[in-house]
Amino acid sequence: MPTEQYAYEMSIRETLPLMGVEIVDLPGFSCCGEPLKSINQMLTLHMSARNLSIADREGIDLLVPCPMCHLALSEAKNILDGNGEMKKRINAKLREEGLEYIGKQRLFHIIDLVHDEIGLDTIRERVKKTLPDLNMAAHYGCHILRPSEMGRPVDSENPRKMEAILLSLGVRSEDYAEKLDCCGGPLLPNHPETSLAKTGQKLHAVSEQGFDGMVLACPWCQKMFDSKQTKAAESVGSRAHVPVLYLTQLMGLAFGIDDAKLGLNLNLSPVDDLGLKGEVE
Amino acid sequence: MERIGVFVCHCGINISSMVDVESIVERVRELDGVVEAKSYKYMCSDRGAQIIKKSIEEKGIDGAVIACCSPRMHEPTFRGVAEDGGMNPFTVEIANIREQCSWAHDSRERSTEKAMKLVMSSVAKARLLEPLERGRTPVIPNALVIGGGIAGIQASLDLANEGFRVYLVEKDPSIGGRMAQLDKTFPTLDCSSCILTPKMMEVYHHPNIDLMTYSEVLSIEGSIGDYRVKVRRKPRYVDVDRCTGCGDCVTACRMRDRIPDEFNMGLSNRSAIYIQFPQAIPLEAVMDSETCLFHRFGKCGDGPLCVEACEAEAIDFEQKEEVAELNVGAIVVATGYDLLDPASLHEYGYSRSKNVITTLELERLISSSGPTKGEVRLPSSGERPRSVTMIMCVGSRDETQCSWCCRIGCMTALKQVILLRENLGEEVEINILHTDIKSFGKGYEEFYRNVRAENTNFFRGRPSEVRIRNEDIRIDIFDTITNKLFEIRTDMVVLVPAVVPRADSGEFARMMNLSRSGDGFLLEAHLKLKPMDTFVNGIFIAGCCQGPKDITDTVAQASGAASRAAGILSKKELENDPLIAVVDADLCSGCRICISLCPYSAIEPVVETMAGEEVVHAEINEVLCQGCGACVAACPSGAINQMGFKDNQILAMIGVLNDCSDAGGLK
Amino acid sequence: MMKKRDHMSITDMTSMAEAQSDLRSEINQRLERLILGVSDYCYQCAKCTSGCESHKLLELEPHQIVALLKRGLIDEMVNSEIIWTCMSCFKCKERCPQKVPPVDILFALKNLAVLTGKQVPGDYTQMLQSVMSIGYIQDRQTVPTRSGDTVKREDLGLPVLSGLQDPNGFQNIITASAVEKI
Repeated sequence: MPTEQYAYEMSIRETLPLMGVEIVDLPGFSCCGEPLKSINQMLTLHMSARNLSIADREGIDLLVPCPMCHLALSEAKNILDGNGEMKKRINAKLREEGLEYIGKQRLFHIIDLVHDEIGLDTIRERVKKTLPDLNMAAHYGCHILRPSEMGRPVDSENPRKMEAILLSLGVRSEDYAEKLDCCGGPLLPNHPETSLAKTGQKLHAVSEQGFDGMVLACPWCQKMFDSKQTKAAESVGSRAHVPVLYLTQLMGLAFGIDDAKLGLNLNLSPVDDLGLKGEVE
Repeated sequence: MERIGVFVCHCGINISSMVDVESIVERVRELDGVVEAKSYKYMCSDRGAQIIKKSIEEKGIDGAVIACCSPRMHEPTFRGVAEDGGMNPFTVEIANIREQCSWAHDSRERSTEKAMKLVMSSVAKARLLEPLERGRTPVIPNALVIGGGIAGIQASLDLANEGFRVYLVEKDPSIGGRMAQLDKTFPTLDCSSCILTPKMMEVYHHPNIDLMTYSEVLSIEGSIGDYRVKVRRKPRYVDVDRCTGCGDCVTACRMRDRIPDEFNMGLSNRSAIYIQFPQAIPLEAVMDSETCLFHRFGKCGDGPLCVEACEAEAIDFEQKEEVAELNVGAIVVATGYDLLDPASLHEYGYSRSKNVITTLELERLISSSGPTKGEVRLPSSGERPRSVTMIMCVGSRDETQCSWCCRIGCMTALKQVILLRENLGEEVEINILHTDIKSFGKGYEEFYRNVRAENTNFFRGRPSEVRIRNEDIRIDIFDTITNKLFEIRTDMVVLVPAVVPRADSGEFARMMNLSRSGDGFLLEAHLKLKPMDTFVNGIFIAGCCQGPKDITDTVAQASGAASRAAGILSKKELENDPLIAVVDADLCSGCRICISLCPYSAIEPVVETMAGEEVVHAEINEVLCQGCGACVAACPSGAINQMGFKDNQILAMIGVLNDCSDAGGLK
Repeated sequence: MMKKRDHMSITDMTSMAEAQSDLRSEINQRLERLILGVSDYCYQCAKCTSGCESHKLLELEPHQIVALLKRGLIDEMVNSEIIWTCMSCFKCKERCPQKVPPVDILFALKNLAVLTGKQVPGDYTQMLQSVMSIGYIQDRQTVPTRSGDTVKREDLGLPVLSGLQDPNGFQNIITASAVEKI
């Protein structure tokens, strides 16, 4: 997110303060390590535990907008809290940097932070602009939903929180059969054609069923569905014209924030078609 | 006891190979109080019994020590011999010199010494034993059967035919249970109603059966031989002596077709006043007060239409709930099962499409008395399905849902293949997605073979999800038999759900004081050898309430439970084992520790007024006490003693064992 | 729990490979350490493969991966390309009725492949190198806009990315983890 998907970060920084949440930037965070899990999971565990221990040191709860990071950190927490031996091993490494994993801080993703902690009433109150009548496909991705055994912020088989948030913004979001399908992102490093084909298939399904666009909350998914939309559609032999944007961008628009501040020009998909520009009422 | 006889058994060579039996006999004669000492090769045999009885007669022994095998083997045998010979059976004490001596050691010299000590300590106890009498409780020769499905019906008929009075309590307005909901049964393909209704009729007309439908058990007190049960009789608001079951009220009802019909699994609607199904027994209407307008709002339009329509003038809004009190000697529980709600496996689409149904719902569609009069049609559109896909093991054998196998799923699905072909003809495509086919019973494999010939697509594998776009249903299934992924496009999906305990079984079990196994079904006393008994004496279980099973096994278990119950009811009196705990009220401080410990709920606090003050002490119910000894050990006041294991008796044994100094190296 | 049986004498007649019980134990123990399900409980219902996001296009069969693990045919998998096709969508683990995690078994196999010197496919090496030096899988990108130009992070009013405070120290410390077995 911080090195490429700038629009996500921008829209989060614009909308969260309006909902009463203070964002504190903690120095020293590294990658969570999840993209390197296939290389060595020990590295992932170390890096995730390291980030968690920085949060422990500062005594602050973490907002993890990227579901892949959220999964990595949650998994690290689960293992270290559940296996004392692993906790010792990791803490021995962290001590070399003067850090220690304690595990007191909570982890949030945008969806559960908004839905569970901030609450839909607050969202409704902040809505300043009546959005056009839109039916947007909710895309959760994979890592925010599964594996539920470990505890995820949203239900894995019948997730509804994003739709509930959209409804409070005045946006419809109908259910669709392909809702739980993967964007294909994780295979981009080594199987790019397949990765894009997955993206293309879902885009095709979404546009076939008459949705006005797609809403998501994951930088990898956005990269696939938005930035690589044309390539993705080509790889399944179709044309795609699906506006794709972040949940926080849509929220920001409903709150009356200027679309430049929300990074809307960074979306490569045809978001202008949604008719979201307009006067604040 | 003052004249003890000691009888040492060789047990073939089991004891005598390692213990010098004769030397024991010699030495034991020297002990105080011992007036007879004999040995024999097989003391438990008839000849051995003769020896003991002769001693009772000729030497007048009034207590006996049998040095032999474990009391678990032959204590009852020797008590019986003593009783037969005219001696109180509870003055017999067993010294186990086989399992705890000869079988456990390899030095003959030391084993003999150990055996001697064991016998000596038993003699010390025998001197202090007291004659005990078995308590007797009269048995009420009535039975209560809870649940009017096929299990309850079978048990009731068996018991009634043996001459006992049976109260059959059923929660629904009619008996018949799940079997009444089925169209045909496997593997015989009998029409379910055709084989069930004769039994239902028999129950209805049987002079010994008191049928109480639309009734629930409220509470139960007492113990085996004498249970006092309260039953709530819910009001039908219909005078059953006048009601002819004509059904005019049902057709006239203002709420007609508005209330989901439970019998048809919600696939159709009924009226507020209704007859559960056409073959209902008793064939009487019943008014559901929760949906009846008159009950809810005090008025029904210009007047209740059912009253207008009823020529027999049988509607009676004044009826009240009644509580019946029954007195029975034994109880058979046959409360049946539920199916897992497949909504808990959201990925299979049960909540997302009307055309994804369960096997029981399909059974109702196929049934001629069902919501579509026996025509299998898509619930969403009423069209004939061109393709039906059955998914097995939905929630079964699943560590995240029900870990057990539902046992009837495979055969039900196979049966429904045959019924679907009958119903929809040859053109309909039928797919079965299975993990195994458990066709274990008699005739089942042949049935499976026949279904394989029915042009059905069997896929071995479990689908990950059911994809639904309006009426278009697609399922991806990896078939492990061909190692290929297939995409199935189908109109109707039939899910075979797990069989689960009834939703209220937890509450019910608590009320009856019955245990449940880990899966939530009622717990049997021993899975292999006592599958119908429970840990509560006098209460038996039968049918699916104990665990999923088909009709064959249900009927067998029901007859078995009836037989077990009859074993109690056929006695005039029950004898209670007198080796139970007894409270000395003078010593009891009323702390109630024993009450909370007792696994058989056999202890009650009793309040008395003594010298103007209210005093509480514990009292042990002789019939319920099983003599486990937990209260005896726990009582901080030492107020509880166990008959046959009294403190002075045990201490005497310990005293002897402590005293024994050198002999044979045992210190 | 898990039975420890060291000796397996089973030969795959197609490849003449012997069952590798030590590697099998190692992987099973790793699963236990990571608080994951037990692979032995798999009864090959193939619900995982029926829903596998990588199956249709790349022919990955998660249930077969578990079966091969149970048979101890580890090398066959470690040397294959198929283990690198997993999309880590976690649907297999989510839906398994016996709580077996094929996705995590695949991570174990991939880790084993890397540790035993197999070729690491695709961009992983690049990402690893980037993490080693700056702590992120890539440096701040210059991204395109819908109107056709490009922007950098600095142009968007976002706070400066703090990055690692001691990149060399970080690299030294995590290098050890990068080659350590779980």
